[in-house]
Amino acid sequence: MNARFEKRLLVVWLVLSAMTIAQLGVASVDRQAALTPNVEITSSAILLALIKVRIIFRQFMEVRHAPVLLCRLTDLWLVVTGATLLGCYLAGRLA
Amino acid sequence: MTTGADTERLFPEGEIRTVSGGAAQPARFVPGQPDMWVFVFFEALVFTAYFTVYIVSRSRSPDLFLKSQAHLNLRVGVFNTLVLLASSWAVARSVQAARERSFRSALTNAFLTLFFGFVFLVSKVLEWAAEIGQGFTFTTDEFFSFYYFLTAIHFIHLLIGFIVLTVAVYQLWSPARRSQEVIETCATYWHTIDFLWVLIFALLYVMR
Repeated sequence: MNARFEKRLLVVWLVLSAMTIAQLGVASVDRQAALTPNVEITSSAILLALIKVRIIFRQFMEVRHAPVLLCRLTDLWLVVTGATLLGCYLAGRLA
Repeated sequence: MTTGADTERLFPEGEIRTVSGGAAQPARFVPGQPDMWVFVFFEALVFTAYFTVYIVSRSRSPDLFLKSQAHLNLRVGVFNTLVLLASSWAVARSVQAARERSFRSALTNAFLTLFFGFVFLVSKVLEWAAEIGQGFTFTTDEFFSFYYFLTAIHFIHLLIGFIVLTVAVYQLWSPARRSQEVIETCATYWHTIDFLWVLIFALLYVMR
């Protein structure tokens, strides 16, 4: 296999795995038998997940080589999903 | 103009174009069949709706959700995520190898993807069994209803993914059947299983 692509895919996988371990670190903060609401943990968990999904789109699913429309649609879905999830969560916290 | 760093892509109609690297302008292409991308967007929007209903329900009774969430095994969730990411890596390698006509490597990576998918399947079933063994079932409370619903819907996608990967293996097996477009389409479906799980993991296991 093309060494450059092989290295690129390996680096992408390592980055995604490192981000997953980071999520474990985030989730372990102040984790006791009884969990408590935490805006920072929730926001960072959702944002990290969305960044991971974008990396999967761009690198593994090869959207970086796709027509601009497909690039924009995947980014639009990520923005809409992120805004909806964070918006609903924050609105619920304020209510 | 092409350079040594460029990669050639065999299109279904047999045309070879340069797609990346060096000074050449990358040619843009839709990976796999466009119909699969329509399906990916449909699934993504459906899951966005599921996730929204989950978060709204969660915000109505946060204490109940947090109390039940504490019973999930965070490390198993992390393990499952890492395994699915590894499967996506393997299928991406398979696509790239097939593009370069290294079909033995493509086939090996397709089998590796199946292996990681199977590890995820076994791990998920064992996790469900452990939770049910502790008395946490679909009807225990609202959190566990969402937990079993989201993970089960994802699990069904995983089972379909095995059929899709089998199609990719069938394609790669014989020179008479090899279609790069079909292999890319199968990979696109498999990556969808992966990115949906990434979000499910964040919402069920990590968020508070």
